[in-house]
Amino acid sequence: MIAGHFGFAALVKSRERQAPLWALMLATVWLDIVFVPLFVAGVETITTVGRPGGYGAGIIHADYTHSLVGAIALSLVFGLAFGWRWGSRTAIVLGLVSFSHWVLDLLVHRADMPLFPGHDLNQPRFGFGLWRHPWTAASMELLLIVMGAWLYWRAACAITVEDDKARQRARLVSLLILIGGIVVLGLDVSGIGG
Amino acid sequence: MQFIIGVIFFVVVIGVLDAQLPWPRSRAKKGVR
Repeated sequence: MIAGHFGFAALVKSRERQAPLWALMLATVWLDIVFVPLFVAGVETITTVGRPGGYGAGIIHADYTHSLVGAIALSLVFGLAFGWRWGSRTAIVLGLVSFSHWVLDLLVHRADMPLFPGHDLNQPRFGFGLWRHPWTAASMELLLIVMGAWLYWRAACAITVEDDKARQRARLVSLLILIGGIVVLGLDVSGIGG
Repeated sequence: MQFIIGVIFFVVVIGVLDAQLPWPRSRAKKGVR
């Protein structure tokens, strides 16, 4: 899941207007950002079932970044890193948005998410496996994108009532969230771009 | 690749455009600018 996380961040922005959207967008994919260098280093890996590179075809061995304890720790780090600058409320929101990544991934992953960091632990793994039903998973992502763009648009319109130029910009950003989310979801589902 | 495209688009492009809207600002701690 990629686009759905961004849709969720836009949705949160509509409720927590003081939190910068770029930081919410960064928070929502923070676990995956940490995953990238670990993947390159071979510490965390992906094996595929079915069509290689297909949507939801990965069993992701992200035992550090996507374990429950690892996700909580990374979310705490993210929240604290911004908390000193923007205050406790925004820090908590950013930490929770970061952790929302684990919760949303739990819905789609194929029981590959452990409780504790580490490869060698004989421990239960979780994931409700919505990726086994790709169109259902993609529909859920699309719903998050549409809801996020729509609620963002409503909130942005509410703060730009007296400024036509700002309102036009609000419309543009909302539209770009919608279009960008659909494009990224389309690339993800089709496998175009790898 | 989709992930990198998504991060650049949503964090940088959308983030910069959104920052120009008159959202209420987070209250910074005293002494921090």
